[in-house]
Amino acid sequence: MSTRATETDPSAPDDAPVYEERVSLLDRVPRVVWLVGLGLAGLGVWQGIVALELTSRILLPGPAETFEEVISTAGNIITGGHVAEALWLTTQEVVWGFLAASALGFALGVVVGETKFGQVAVMPYLVAFNALPKVAFAPVFVAWLGFGINSKVVMATFIAFFPVIVDTAAGLASADKDTVMLFRSMGASRWQTLRKLKLPGALPFIFAGLKTASVFAVVGAVVGEYLGGGGGLGELVRLSSQQLRIDRVFALIFYLSVVGLALFAIVGWIERRIVFWHRADPSDVVSA
Amino acid sequence: MLRVEDLSKTYVRNDVHALDRINLTVKDGQFVSIIGASGCGKSTLLKIMAGLIPPSSGRVLLDGTPVLGPRPDIGMMFQQATLLPWRTALENVLLPIEIRDGAKAAHARSDLAVELLGLVGLAGFEKAYPGELSGGMAQRVAICRMLIIEPSVLLLDEPFGALDELTRERMNEELQRICTERQATAFMVTHSIAEAVFLGDALFVMSARPGRIVEVVPIDIPRPREFSVTTEPHFGEIVQHVRSRLDLGEQL
Repeated sequence: MSTRATETDPSAPDDAPVYEERVSLLDRVPRVVWLVGLGLAGLGVWQGIVALELTSRILLPGPAETFEEVISTAGNIITGGHVAEALWLTTQEVVWGFLAASALGFALGVVVGETKFGQVAVMPYLVAFNALPKVAFAPVFVAWLGFGINSKVVMATFIAFFPVIVDTAAGLASADKDTVMLFRSMGASRWQTLRKLKLPGALPFIFAGLKTASVFAVVGAVVGEYLGGGGGLGELVRLSSQQLRIDRVFALIFYLSVVGLALFAIVGWIERRIVFWHRADPSDVVSA
Repeated sequence: MLRVEDLSKTYVRNDVHALDRINLTVKDGQFVSIIGASGCGKSTLLKIMAGLIPPSSGRVLLDGTPVLGPRPDIGMMFQQATLLPWRTALENVLLPIEIRDGAKAAHARSDLAVELLGLVGLAGFEKAYPGELSGGMAQRVAICRMLIIEPSVLLLDEPFGALDELTRERMNEELQRICTERQATAFMVTHSIAEAVFLGDALFVMSARPGRIVEVVPIDIPRPREFSVTTEPHFGEIVQHVRSRLDLGEQL
C-alpha cells in the first residue's frame, strides 16, 4: 500500500515497480488480539463440541457451566467455605514442598556441580532416581507420615527437587573458562570463586529450575492428596469426579492452576529483581 | 625481570609435546610479543608463566623467585573481557583487591580505580554495567582491573582478538600508551603479526608441535608509535620477515 518510493523519488514513473516493505500480519495486529483470539477460538471449539452434543453433557460440561461453577466456587472461597479451607491447605503443602525442594535441590546441585565426588558418586544415583515413577511413592509416604499435611509436603518436595539440582549444577558448570582462570590467577580460593563467580553466574539457571519446581510442587501436592486423602483441592477433585461433577472438577483445577501460576509469578518477580543483568527466558510472559 | 629457563611441557594424558626447551627473557619495561600458528603451545606457555599449570621441566623466574603457582604480582588479560556482568565497571576493576584483601580494602582503593578508569577514557562509566559497555570499553575495564594490583608483569592472551579491526587499532595505541607511561613489563600472545610488531620491543616466533622458539625479532621502530607507522616500508619489512619465519615454522 505504501507509496513512499514514488514520493521520495519524483523522477520515477508512477507505474514503476515499488519494492514494498512487507510487514507480516502478525506484526500489524496488536499482540493482545492474537492472544485473546486464540483463547476465544479454543472456547469456541469447546462450545461447539458441547452444542453439537458430540459427548454427554455430564462428561463434558460447556464453557458457560464451567464458568458459572468457577464463579460459585469463588464465592465459596471468599466466604471461607470448605473450598477455601481446601485451597489454604493445598497452598501450604505447595509452598512448603516448593521451599524444601528449593533448599534440597540447591544443596545437592552445589555438591554435584562443584565437587568431583558429587559428579562421580552422587549424580548417577540422582539420574537413576529421576527415572523412577515418583508418583508411585505417594502411598509409601502416606504409610510413613500419615494422612496429614506432612506426607503431601514430602510428595511435593519429592517431585519438585530434581530440576533444581540439574539446573544448579548446570549453572555452576556454565562459568566461563577464562573467567575461572582469571580468578585462579588472582589467587582466589575455591570458596571465593564459588561465591563471587559461579553462584551469581548460575542464578539464571537456578531460577529456571525454581520455576519448574514451582509447577511440579503443585503436581506433587495434588497427587499426594489424591492418593493419601485427608483434604485439600486434590481431595475435592477426587470426590467431585466420583460424583461426576466434571464442571466442579474443572473449576477446582482452575484454582489449582492459580496456585501454581501465583508461585511461578512470585519466583519470576524475584528473579527479575535479583538477576537484573540477564535477559528473561521466553516462558516469562509477564515481563514480555 | 621475567625469565623462562629450559621450559618443556608434555601433556601426559594424551602425550602431546606442547613446549620444547623454551628459553626467553623479558626485561623490565620491555614489551614482548609472541606469535605462532594456532596449536603451537603459546597459550600453554602463558599459563605456565602465570603459574596456572606446572611445567614438565624447567622453570619460570619472576624478579628472581620461581613461579610455583598463581601470584598476585602477575596481571592477566584474555581475549574476552571476562567482566562479571552483575558488577559495575568500578566493582569489576576492584575485584582483584577484593579477592586478595577483602571488600573493605577494595572499597578503600575506589579512588585509584576511578583514576584508572579515567586513564583509559572511561570517566563517568564507573557505575555502568558490562552489558552497557561496548567490546572496546569492556576491554579497557579489563585493563584497569589488571593494573589495579600494580603487577610486575602483564600477561596478555590475545587481548584484542575479539574486537573489530578499528577498535583493535585504537586499543593497541591505548595499550602502548599505558605500558609506556607505567614502564610495564608485558608478554603478549597474539595471532596478528601487525599487532605483535606494533606493540612489541621484541617478537618471538614460535613453531608448532613441539612448540619451539624459532627466532627472536628485535623491533627497532621508535616510540611512541602511531598506527600510521603500519603503512611505512620498514614496518612492512618486519611483518614480511615474520611471515616468512612463520611459514618456515609450519613446514618443519
